[in-house]
Amino acid sequence: MTAITNDPQPLTEQEQTWVDQFMDETTLFLGPDPEIMRSHSIAGRSVYEDACIAKGVDRATVERVRKRVAGALDEGYEMCEAQGAAPGAKWGDLTTAIYTAAGDVSYLSCHGVIAFSAILHHPIRYIMKYWKDEPTVGVHPGDGFIHNDARFGNVHNTDQSMIMPVMRDGEIIAWVAATIHEGENGACEPGGMPSGSETAFDDGLRMSPFKIVEKGHLRRDLLTFLQHSVRDPKLQLADLKVKIGSVNRIMERVDALIDEVGVEAFVAALRVTIEDVDAEVRRRISELPDGTVSFNQFMDSTLKENILIKLACKIHIEGDKMTVDLRGTGPEILNRAINSPLCSVKSMFMQAILAFWWPDLPRCTSAMSCIEIISDEGTWADASYDAPMGQSLQASFRGFSAFQSLYGKMQFSTPNKYSNVVANWFNQINTFLWGGITQHGDTVGNLCADLNGMPGGAKPFKDGEDSVSPLFCAMADTAEQEVMEEEVPFMQLVSKRLVRDNMGFGKFTGGMGYEMIVASEGTPHWGFMTVTSGAKFSSIYGMFGGYGCGTYPLATVKGVNVYDAIREDPSKFDLSMEKVMNEQPFDGGKYATHHMGLQFDVAKDGELYMIAQGAGGGYGDPLERDPEAVLKDIELNRITAKVARDIFAVAYDEATLRLDADATAELRTQARRDRLGRGRPYQEFVDSWVTEEPPADLLYYGSWGDDTDDLTATIFEIDGPRRVKAPIGELPIIMIPDRRELKIAELEAQVARLEAKHGETVHRLA
Amino acid sequence: MKRISVDIGGTFTDCFFVWDDQYIEAKALTTHHNLALGFNEALDLACKRAGLDRGTVLETVDSVRYATTLGTNALIERKGPKVGAIVTHGFEDTIPLSRGRGYGEGLDNSMQQNLPAAERPEPLVPRHLIRSVRERVNSAGTVVARLDPRDVRNVVRELVDAGAEAVVVSLTNATENPEHELQIQEIILEEFPAHELGAIPVLLGHQVSGRKGEYVRATSTIVDAFLHEIMFHALSQLSNNLREYGYSKPMLVIHNSGGMAQMNSTDALQTIHSGPIAGVGAAEHLSSETGLGHVISTDMGGTSFDIGLVPEGGVKHYDFLPTIDRWLVSVPMVHLDTLGAGGGSIASYDRIHNAIKIGPESAGSNPGPACYDRGGLRPTVTDADLLLGYLDPDNYANGYIKLNPKRSRFAIEETLCDELDLDVLEVVKQIKRGVDEQMAIGIGKELRVRGYLPEDFTMLAYGGNGPLHACGIAKHAGIKRVLAPPFSSVFSACGAGNMKQLHFHERGAHVVLYNATTRGLYDKYDEFNAIVEELEKRGLEDLVRQGFDAEDVQFRLELDMRYGNQLLTQAVSLELNRINGVGDVLDVIRTFGDVYSHRFGANCAAPEAGIRVGTIRVASFVDGDVVRFDSLEHGGTRTVPEPVTHREVHFVDHDGALATPIYDQRALTHGHVIPGPAIVTTENTTFLVEPGWRLEPTQQGAVWFLQD
Repeated sequence: MTAITNDPQPLTEQEQTWVDQFMDETTLFLGPDPEIMRSHSIAGRSVYEDACIAKGVDRATVERVRKRVAGALDEGYEMCEAQGAAPGAKWGDLTTAIYTAAGDVSYLSCHGVIAFSAILHHPIRYIMKYWKDEPTVGVHPGDGFIHNDARFGNVHNTDQSMIMPVMRDGEIIAWVAATIHEGENGACEPGGMPSGSETAFDDGLRMSPFKIVEKGHLRRDLLTFLQHSVRDPKLQLADLKVKIGSVNRIMERVDALIDEVGVEAFVAALRVTIEDVDAEVRRRISELPDGTVSFNQFMDSTLKENILIKLACKIHIEGDKMTVDLRGTGPEILNRAINSPLCSVKSMFMQAILAFWWPDLPRCTSAMSCIEIISDEGTWADASYDAPMGQSLQASFRGFSAFQSLYGKMQFSTPNKYSNVVANWFNQINTFLWGGITQHGDTVGNLCADLNGMPGGAKPFKDGEDSVSPLFCAMADTAEQEVMEEEVPFMQLVSKRLVRDNMGFGKFTGGMGYEMIVASEGTPHWGFMTVTSGAKFSSIYGMFGGYGCGTYPLATVKGVNVYDAIREDPSKFDLSMEKVMNEQPFDGGKYATHHMGLQFDVAKDGELYMIAQGAGGGYGDPLERDPEAVLKDIELNRITAKVARDIFAVAYDEATLRLDADATAELRTQARRDRLGRGRPYQEFVDSWVTEEPPADLLYYGSWGDDTDDLTATIFEIDGPRRVKAPIGELPIIMIPDRRELKIAELEAQVARLEAKHGETVHRLA
Repeated sequence: MKRISVDIGGTFTDCFFVWDDQYIEAKALTTHHNLALGFNEALDLACKRAGLDRGTVLETVDSVRYATTLGTNALIERKGPKVGAIVTHGFEDTIPLSRGRGYGEGLDNSMQQNLPAAERPEPLVPRHLIRSVRERVNSAGTVVARLDPRDVRNVVRELVDAGAEAVVVSLTNATENPEHELQIQEIILEEFPAHELGAIPVLLGHQVSGRKGEYVRATSTIVDAFLHEIMFHALSQLSNNLREYGYSKPMLVIHNSGGMAQMNSTDALQTIHSGPIAGVGAAEHLSSETGLGHVISTDMGGTSFDIGLVPEGGVKHYDFLPTIDRWLVSVPMVHLDTLGAGGGSIASYDRIHNAIKIGPESAGSNPGPACYDRGGLRPTVTDADLLLGYLDPDNYANGYIKLNPKRSRFAIEETLCDELDLDVLEVVKQIKRGVDEQMAIGIGKELRVRGYLPEDFTMLAYGGNGPLHACGIAKHAGIKRVLAPPFSSVFSACGAGNMKQLHFHERGAHVVLYNATTRGLYDKYDEFNAIVEELEKRGLEDLVRQGFDAEDVQFRLELDMRYGNQLLTQAVSLELNRINGVGDVLDVIRTFGDVYSHRFGANCAAPEAGIRVGTIRVASFVDGDVVRFDSLEHGGTRTVPEPVTHREVHFVDHDGALATPIYDQRALTHGHVIPGPAIVTTENTTFLVEPGWRLEPTQQGAVWFLQD
């Protein structure tokens, strides 16, 4: 008797060919290619690269090529920065780079956002695989590909790239690209980073790499389509020209260089540089002690509702091998904007490596090539094709923080230091996004460059810098408000004022953040939004005993025109979030606080919106802080007397600010005694603290405890929410119901209760 | 023409003295404790060379002009009064936060990129000396919150109690409406009248800079206030010294705008970098007098390499937001790019690329290069130059510094040879080639981002190491002609002798020449012209106050323009001074388009996005006598002079040493030609003529390096 089996019979070669041919002919469209998208390693040497290198590599020539290319890229960068119309371009949120034929970054401009370029190998490989030999597309000298879809390799969809091939004798030998954070991209909310997107279609333009410049000519039909798809067609045009001009300028320099050193020397130099960096990274990893370090972070909202979702990160080192394990990270939420593609998270790993671990390292793809990264697809840090990703930075910036924090642990006892250990840099885009019609009649949508004022973490020997360049870009700039006000119909009534106590406490304190209070005036239509988490659960942790950042709400005063009130009584122009919310000085106003995920909110003249940057993490025990430094902070109104006493345990004369050294020593001794008193043996602590699962009323997503195989999640079914626990592959799709619908349902239930109670029927609109 | 021009630098006080047809160079050490002493010594030397005495000269000359680095040094050393600042409510931390990137201003790339090491510099105004007043003006200049005088009085008293010795008032949008700044000034003067002891100087932001940007304007005003006293005393000291010896005319101070003015019309901020900028001015004048065409001026010293751009036809390149020391400020300054590369640049091993990295660290003058034998252990460019045979160990810096080649060799062997597995000679060749190429890349970038090509330029090479590296830099940059200019040892002082009396006045404006949304062209001609008229009036007053006739004053209208919302504001000089119709508007648009396309490429202009003016600026100036440069003709019949000796010298692209003729100063005589390879050692520098180049001295001490 023949046994019946369900195992499919292997196909013959002929059958496989038929199947492949059928599949090819019936491809609906080309999506992101997992083979390209899952890999962050450098490509193997091509035959041509091998041949070029085999002819002998003159180190002096490599150095020469490196310097010349660096000069060309900086030239291109300056062109973009000078000509760019997007706020991002004006304040340094851009980059230029050169890539090998296979798409690996070999050199980056000295300034700009490392992550932009570090991720472009994905679209280049896509072009090489799918478009190069496609008869309807092809790659020719003078062609330029545009791209922004994060699913094909991008930090997020606000960033647009122009990618052009360097060709010799019909062969692609390298690529040059420029990327700018453009902001507006036609998403469901202005500014390009919609916190309100609920489907991938709400994320705005999703340009997989396509050819928009053909043999040197910008295609007007495609340009027109793009301009129609965004709120700011002038910006789309102007910056596209800027990127093309910049890349062309770099190409001129590269062409001249190739003429000078020869194609083979040029190709060899690009490749050798990548391999040099790869070797150096392995060497540096081997300097780190073997072992495992871990860092778990939590986000406190979907930017619509309060939840707690985990980003788990472990780094394991053994010899020259480093493995990053993201398993245990919470599942993607399929109708919320916080999901990120894995490539975006990796790009921020790269930012941490090149800017914070080893800032002396040349900026190449290979800086992360040898690091293995384990991640489950379908988590919010490794989201699938259908997930909305408007606020992907929520996951990817946490990826940065994980790397920054873990490096402090990994290299604590290593003899070679390549940079300062720094407690967590503030990691949120804490600014106002805005959109509407300006005082000049233009329709616009973008953001305040204040996001670039991220407070720095404390160092082991010095306080962190107050709002300084952001974690993702050294020398990125915050705007001059006067320049902004000329373009947009709102004022920052409080523009830059540090918020008292807003620091990560510690022996050395994290940098402080500033508050911003805005109100529009003189526009037919305007609105603001915010896209930040951390209003309830801090996004920033301290280091080695230091405190994290406090939480920070959004506060609004609606229904009153504060401009009118100030014009009438200038003494009312005395604003701070603390004062306004406590004293409520504007009669008739509706005062409210919110979490930091504000979807586009229409602002009437004079309605106030108030936020504050968070803070950098503190370093070390606050009880070890120099008491004189505490008094200096008191003198400058950086901290309150309560913080000086309760956190730093410093006693002083409030009138003269003279330190009482004896009383301080006593306070600190007592504080240490209290700590000992609160202390418990570890097992006792575990028994009292650790629970089998998260609190029942908490919308929690991610692994719970050390086990990372199963994820805990709350799903929403016809009967309401239900908590489940399962491996990522077995979890059902998670979608959170619209909070407005929930509110309506709750009100309807209340009405029904009242009807039942009073025997009366309320007539409703159909 | 009888004139004294002086450039007071950190080490030397250079004097360029014009007495009719005699042009005389003289140098003396700068005497920091009393600048007048160094000045007198340099002047005495010049007088001696002219056969005159100081008194006669000072009684007779038409002007004495100063360029000085005094302000730069005072900033670096933080020598200044306690300055307090009053700002708009809500902007209390704008100054200390310094736009976020303030940690990196004035630092090299590697430090700018090193965020974990980011540290802001010690502030010029400490936070406890900053106060806000409740007032607000919007971008159109309309008052939103009225100023409360009681609030102002309280704040001023608090500042004075806290120890403020000068007060800066810099309010948001004060350039559009300065009413509140003026009111505060009035109140301070009431509280602390100028005639009373304890009076405090008050500087208003809108008077220091008319440009939008609350941070840069405040910083500019602070730097001005910080330097005001020290500059006033130092310049007064110089002025009194002149008066004592019979000079009765006003002393003139060189400005970084490329002009000059009397002391009473000079802000301290305008004097920063005035020395190097006077050098660029000299290059400009030399070019226009002798028909050199496009010129790039380069000044290579021990620690830095200054690049100035002088295109043909009088096109000006300014930095409107330059960095001074560690501060971003708002002042129209002649563009000058400084690279961290010089003789003292340290060569180190780059393990990642198995290559040599040059700079940005510098050994400076103390300990200096290893060969100085002053304790420096790390090899520098000068060490490489010495081992290649370019420098005479016994006659370096006119014999002031004896060089020890053993130290150079040791430093290179220890730090580079073993790592690179190369011999000393190969390493020093790589250093020479590397530093030349680095500077050539700097020059190339500088030119190309402004739309020029290096091959179209003549390079001027001056400074202590300029003629030594001129051929190498030019070769890598693709430049065919290099000129060590006339009077090169005092070139900046020479430039000061040619400056015009010039004042810039500017005002931020929102003029939309073409509105892309409404598709309309600008038509508020009267509004535009009124601003220009006001700026011209201020310039005229400045010059008339200094004794010029109103009819001699000329004006040049410049606009900072951009497409759409670009950051870039391209300065455009106009032929016209008023806009009186659509033809003028289109003319301005056309001029902008030409300038923009030249800089960025023909297809880069984006007029479809709209065309705007951000700043209106008027340059007010009077022409004056200038130094006459002799013809710089090269070629013709020339003879090869006799060398003093021969030396074995190594060159980058040549295997083995070449027996190279060595000349002294006498060889640099008009009519000679010195074929490369050759070396000419003079009192101030070394001329290295690389193979494939030749040296052709011309009039007034100028020397051509020409490629064969």
